[in-house]
Parts: sequence; structure tokens; C-alpha cells
Amino acid sequence: MADIKVGKAEVKPDTPSHVKGNKEGNAKGNYDHQKGHLPDGRSTAERSTGINPKGASPIDPSMPNLSPG
Amino acid sequence: MAMREKVKPEAGKVVDMSWDPITRIVGNLGIYTKIDFDNQEVVSCKSTSSMFRGYSVFMKGKDPRDAHFITSRICGICGDNHAVCSCYAQQMAYGVKPPPLGEWIVNLGEAAEYIFDHIIFQDNLVFVDFCEQMVKDTNPTVWAKAEKADAPHAAIHGYRTVGDIMRSYNPFTGETYREALHMSRIGREMICLMEGRHVHPSTVYPGGVGTQPTPTLFTDYLSRLLRCFDFIKKAVAMNDDVFDFFYEAMPGYEEVGRRRILLGCWGAFNNPDHVDYDYRNMNDWGNEMFVTPGVVVDGELVTTNLVDINLGIRILLGSSYYGDWVGEETFVPKDPLGNPVDQRHPWNQTTIPKPQKRDLDGGNYSWVMSPRWYDKRTGDHLALDTGGGALARLWATALAGKVDTPYVKATGHSVLINLPKTPETEEQTLEWKVPQWSNAIERDRARIYFVAYAAAMALHFLDRAFAEVRAGQTKVFEDFDVPDEAIGCGFHEAVRGVLSHHLVIRDGKIANYHPYPPTPWNGSPTDSYGTPGPYEDAVMGQPIFEEHGPDDFRGIDVMRAVRSFDPCLPCGVHMYLGKGKTIRQVHSPMFGEHG
Repeated sequence: MADIKVGKAEVKPDTPSHVKGNKEGNAKGNYDHQKGHLPDGRSTAERSTGINPKGASPIDPSMPNLSPG
Repeated sequence: MAMREKVKPEAGKVVDMSWDPITRIVGNLGIYTKIDFDNQEVVSCKSTSSMFRGYSVFMKGKDPRDAHFITSRICGICGDNHAVCSCYAQQMAYGVKPPPLGEWIVNLGEAAEYIFDHIIFQDNLVFVDFCEQMVKDTNPTVWAKAEKADAPHAAIHGYRTVGDIMRSYNPFTGETYREALHMSRIGREMICLMEGRHVHPSTVYPGGVGTQPTPTLFTDYLSRLLRCFDFIKKAVAMNDDVFDFFYEAMPGYEEVGRRRILLGCWGAFNNPDHVDYDYRNMNDWGNEMFVTPGVVVDGELVTTNLVDINLGIRILLGSSYYGDWVGEETFVPKDPLGNPVDQRHPWNQTTIPKPQKRDLDGGNYSWVMSPRWYDKRTGDHLALDTGGGALARLWATALAGKVDTPYVKATGHSVLINLPKTPETEEQTLEWKVPQWSNAIERDRARIYFVAYAAAMALHFLDRAFAEVRAGQTKVFEDFDVPDEAIGCGFHEAVRGVLSHHLVIRDGKIANYHPYPPTPWNGSPTDSYGTPGPYEDAVMGQPIFEEHGPDDFRGIDVMRAVRSFDPCLPCGVHMYLGKGKTIRQVHSPMFGEHG
């Protein structure tokens, strides 16, 4: 660091924003565990609602299943 | 390349002229010149920065997943470029590739950023220097010619004379000025749709995006994009008319802001069909980008290989307030391909700030370092500029001849841009041809052509995104684990030029992080080899066309030269005239001293 006078640090800049042991949203496997996400990248209405998701599926199976997110 | 000559100011002949601050970026860019009014020429120029940022210092020790949120705050206008670039670097470090739809959404957000930012800069800031009020004041004879000069593209834009176009550029009252504000608002709405928020995106993450890819999202974007096309088609025609008129009305104006053709472009818009964020394949996927990366020296395309571009980056000192880091730690001795990495490369840089008094006479005078690109053919450390971003992007893309989409095609000597029919205007094919010079006018002209480029490219991204949605592919995020040890680099184009982020992770934390945005390249001071930075180089030796003498000199030609590089947003320009004498010497090595 520079040879300049600075005050006493009031913070530790390397205090981790993540505490080990806590679940991480980005961790591998999370996407697959969430409901409504199919392994091929498509999704079903289950990702948007738990209430009768099948009733929210497209009428024609050949249509894309585009739930509101 | 112009070399600095020391000139002693003599009253009445060589006069000190300074503009400080020159930009909006918290007043930290100053231009100090010496102008020879007898010969109407700038004889020396120094570019200084009076503010220390320190991102590379305080990023150390932080969670790397925070990097894009923090580095986005580097800029208040192109923060999303930083966020995206940081995500590219993180994706390389984590070894994760976002799903295609996530990549198209990022590309759409970035295309909107180019549209918004270039329009607001060009029409609301650059054209203040070319508007009726300014030209009438600084060059009354040119204004008289403009009023009589027929505009060649009047049929497209509706203005009969060049003077009419310049009148529409008048701040606050001009028609184009006001319409541009509206267009830039639409551009910002488009960014918000894709990236959640502007300037600091909330839905852009390493591994993808959090944007929900519904059909409405893309149709909302498309309806806004189509509203921009009428404006863009007219704007390109008006720009061509005004800039061609300046060449005609003031023979020799091509010398304003002219420098050797030394351009760098780090590429933009990754192609999800090819990109895997693996450093070892960076040459392959870099060449598939929708803006081709490249280094152009004297009009010749030296390389399009991102690995060569990366390894050639050198951060030099010479006139900056920093200590050398040669004896400090080498974080990355070799890249993943086994190539040696220089100690002056951003991966190995340690920032050692040394605040000191500004010394414009042979000493240190800037907080900006001097990024250079090492040309291994000649051994030169080239002071590349970005040509305000657009010029380098179009130049590298045109010469590389790799981009080929239904809307944009690079031919090897030009770029063809197809714009569809829209309510007020017919279908148009624009051709941006590689210009003869790298000067102020061509930097400005390229900017509006790149708006058209980005808008046309956005149509292609929309086509591809719609195809994903129609296939039911809604995945926009790929999960990943943060490794304990990793390195990464991201290459992108901020609106005003090259942008790189270099990242070293150790112990799951950031051990080293160095963002290099375009302004350090363009606004760098003279380096340890004596090579001046691009602003200095472009302004030094340029002729002065302004009709005012030293007493009421506005420095319009110098301003046009510096502003052509798009030094962030120059909305607050103040000037004091030394009249050959130093009225008051103000040293401001640190931000805050002026109050």
C-alpha cells in the first residue's frame, strides 16, 4: 500500500459477505431442485404457481409453456 | 506520433489556455494547452485528472460475486457496461456459461445502452459545439456559408439548408436537441426492460440474468426500438450533411483532433452459439462477437485475437501519482495457455497511490495511469485510442469482415447496415466506409452510424430471443460454485470504447481486480517512454480555425477535438484565460480541495 498517512480503519474490507455453511443461491444443483424447471431448459407453470399448475399449462401440447415468471 | 515540445509562453504570442474541469465526471479532467495565436496552432497539450478512484484498492478481499454490483458504480452513465464486463470476467473464473436466452437479453440491454448513450452524447452535448449559436459566435463567416448551403439529404431529414440543421441543434430550443432527449429516454426504458435498472443493472449476474423472458418483454422492447428508427435514419443524414459541410467550409478542418490511426476495440455482443468463457478458446469465440475485437495501426488490422490483445496490455507510469509495482507480487505469471504475463499487465498490477503536487512542467500531473498496447512486431508501446468508441468498433469490424447477420454485414472495407421501413421513413441501407483520417469529425460521424449499427443488431438479437421463447426455452441462468483459486478476464466495449476487467480469486475472495475503462486509454498522460496520451497527441499541433483572438477565445476547436473522444459526458466546461500570465496556480492533486 502507499506510504501515505491514513486513519485507523473502521471496517474490514474482507469481511465475507457470505458465511460458510449458508446456502448459496448460485450453488450448483439449485436450479434443478426448484420446481417447474425442466432439465432441457424449458419450464412449466409450476415455477410460477403451486395452485393447480397443470390447469395453467397450454391447451395444445405443441405450444410453448410460458408461465408468467 | 507527435512528440511533446517544451514551449516557454511569451506574452502575446504563445498563450496558456486551460480547461479544467472539462467533463461531467466530477470535474476530474483538465486540458492545459499552450496556443500560438500568430500561427493559429496548439503547440502543447497536457491532459490531467485530479481525482483518485481506488477501485483496484478496495476491491481486494471482497466476495467476487459482488464485483459487478460494485464496479458498476465506476460510471454514472455506462455502469451497465461495467457490470456486464465484470460478469464476463467472473464467468471465466467460475467456468460457467449462461444459457443462450440469458446472453441475448444481455446483448439487447447493451445494444439499448449504445443507442441511448450515443444519442444523448451526440445530439445533446457534441452538437452544442456545432449548433447555430456556437458557430455564429466562434466562426461568423462559416455560419454565413451554412445559411446558404443546401443540405444534400434534405429529402430524408426535411431541413433545407445546413444552417437549418444547425439551428435544430441549439440547446433547449432546437428541434433535434429536444427529440434526442426523448429518444434517449426510450433507450433507457429498453435497458430497464432487459437489465432491470439503468445505470446500475439489478438483473445482470454472472451465470445469466434474472429477467423473466416473457413474450411481452421482447415485444415491449421491439415497439420502443421501432420508434427509434425514424429518428436514427434522419440523424445519420443530418450528421453527414453537417460534417461534410465543415470539411468544405473550412479547408484543412480534417487536421482538428487528427492523430495517427491507433485504434483499439475489445469487441462486444458475445455470440451464445460460440462463447464458452474458456480463456483457452478466447480467440475463437472472440472472433464470433457481433462487434469484432481488433487493434488497428496505421489503417491496418494487426490482430483480432483477444488473447494477443490481452497479453499486449501494459499499464505504464511516467506522469502519474503512483509508485511502481515492479517489486510487488506477481499474481499471474502465466496465462491458462502457458504464455508469460508481463508484470505491467493488469493481472499483476498493484496500485500504490502517491498523492503529490501537480507538476505540469516535466513532473507528474495526473491520477490516470498510461495504458498502452505492446506491439510485438515493432516493440512499441502504442498509445491506442478508442475513437470515442464508435470509430474503433466500426473500423475493426469493417476490416475484419467477420460480422454477417441479416441486418449488419462487414465487407472488409465498410459496414453495411439495413434499417427496416418504419412509419415515417422508407427502408434504408447505410454504409459506413473506413475513413481517411482518425480525427474529430470522423469520431463524431462514426458515433451516429454506430447507433444505427446497434439498433439493427438489436433486431437480430430479438429474432434469436423470440426463437428461444417460441421453443419454450425459458432458462436464463446457469448455476455455479465459486472456486477457491481462479483467474478471469472480461473484454467488452463501454459506450466510449475499450473496457476490460481483470480478476484474480484466492481463498474464494478477490485478490486482485483491475478494471480498465476507455477514459484511462484516451485521457492518459505522457508515459515513461515519453509518448503522450491520445487527447494530448490529438490536440498538439492542431490548427485553430476559431475567428476570435486571445481575448475572447472560446477554444471551440480544442473542445471539439477532446469531446470527439467522448470523455464521458462533458456537460460542465469552465475555462480561464491566462493571457500569457499565470493568474493563480491551483494545485488539486486530490478531489475535494476546490470545495
